[in-house]
Amino acid sequence: MTQHREVGPIVWSIVIAVTCLLLFALRSVLWLVVPCLLALIIYYGLRPAYKRLLLAGLGEQAAASVVIIGFALGSGLLLAGATPWMSARAESWQDAVTRYLSGGIDWLQGTLALLEAKFTLIRRLGLSATLSRELDQLTDEHAQAYGASLVVGLGTWVPALLLAPFLAFFFLRDGQAFERLLGRAVPNAYFERSLNLLHELDETAHAYFQGLLKLTVLDALALGLGLWLLGLSGAWLLGLLAAVLAWVPYVGSIVGCVIVVLVAATDFPKDPGIAYGAIALFIFVRLLDDFVFMPATIGRSLRVHPIASVLMLFVGGAIAGVAGLMLVLPLLGIALVVGETVGLVVTDPRLRARHAHARRLRALHASRDLA
Amino acid sequence: MLPGFVRRDPPAVRWKYLARVTLFEGLNPRELRVLDGLLHERSYLKDEIIFDEGEEGQAIYIILTGKVAICRQGRRDDGHIAQYGPGDFFGDLALLDNSPRIAQARAVEDSRLAVFFRGDFVGLLETHSTLSSKLSLTLARLIGKRLREATLALTAYKERGEGA
Repeated sequence: MTQHREVGPIVWSIVIAVTCLLLFALRSVLWLVVPCLLALIIYYGLRPAYKRLLLAGLGEQAAASVVIIGFALGSGLLLAGATPWMSARAESWQDAVTRYLSGGIDWLQGTLALLEAKFTLIRRLGLSATLSRELDQLTDEHAQAYGASLVVGLGTWVPALLLAPFLAFFFLRDGQAFERLLGRAVPNAYFERSLNLLHELDETAHAYFQGLLKLTVLDALALGLGLWLLGLSGAWLLGLLAAVLAWVPYVGSIVGCVIVVLVAATDFPKDPGIAYGAIALFIFVRLLDDFVFMPATIGRSLRVHPIASVLMLFVGGAIAGVAGLMLVLPLLGIALVVGETVGLVVTDPRLRARHAHARRLRALHASRDLA
Repeated sequence: MLPGFVRRDPPAVRWKYLARVTLFEGLNPRELRVLDGLLHERSYLKDEIIFDEGEEGQAIYIILTGKVAICRQGRRDDGHIAQYGPGDFFGDLALLDNSPRIAQARAVEDSRLAVFFRGDFVGLLETHSTLSSKLSLTLARLIGKRLREATLALTAYKERGEGA
């Protein structure tokens, strides 16, 4: 049970400032932040299995090793199973990307042409011609550069992602010892409240990341089912991909939607209705997320007003880009719990008096044979 | 059975203390080891306050060494309620809810205490159902025993009052 506490404007300001400072500081190690986030997701996902193994009699090292090796094997098998399927469907990545991009562009041009045929205002704006011109220019001048930077970016991030299971192993093995180490640093007078703080931090992070996993499963199922009903190839895989992309607030959902529309437009070039259906499905699942899934999963973990969340998402995106979008809400939740509790502990006169009393006792104890 | 190289036995010293605690009666070595991993150890000097009356209870305290007095806040001389020694525990209601502490706890002599936090107990309920049901049952029995003793004492007190 969490004690309800009122947060004043000063604490809120400090919490927001600290969150922004943390984001700013983390900008220089963004390559490490995303693996850390993934490691936390893996850690909270695997912790129940780890605890069961501890109860079965394994030591921390052995239990963490078994769980992480199991996870790595499972992921490896999944990847090994998916690779032939994926390579059978796409001649090469470059061809597939080109095919889906041109399918999407054709669909977009077709839609604009349809709109121009129906609405005079749109025809006068000449959107279709402008789009064609811009796309040609983009393809000619920038495609090579963007493609190269994408490949370089992936080359930098993929090895960093391999850190995630490695970090998760240490989180599992040493998490409890680390908590005890932090606890030992706290004076007796503040101990019980601080212990509560640590517990709440853990609970906040646990609820957030487990909520995120549940949300991903729900999103993947809802999108997969919808896309399967629409008749798209690889509907469940696309649903899963879009659900994982949604970990990046707003931007991720849009990217996921664009990918699905590209696939729908390419697979059904003669039937643009399928792509419109995919967009409608995304909007429907987004609404489900906002009003049903999120309040039932992630929403419970962060006691932050929705307006504050949205504003902080913009701030996070402005400070640290995509990683900032992913990081800002967990950081805000953690800073809020720390701010609340530190404010309560430091400003409690009784706890301060008890701490002073304990220090006097320790000083006397240390000097009792010196007189 | 697990092979010896992956099995870890509980640390001998704390094991000795934990096995003596009435709250942990009936727990097997593996369960004690899981519990041991959740306990925090604190040292208190004579006269140091462990918790105050009215403070929100977050944890149960198990005495490893030393003695602890439970008394009414601000009434150290006439407000004595109980005194506990090694193997005893106090603050047990905090495991069940976050109601305020009903009395102050103070170290009577230099003491080492193991602290079991309510959040960890709630976590155990979710992950280790057998262990937590054993703990809950023992806790319910001990609270029932204390309630019976308190009822008997109250009855005796009333009877003495009526007799006078």
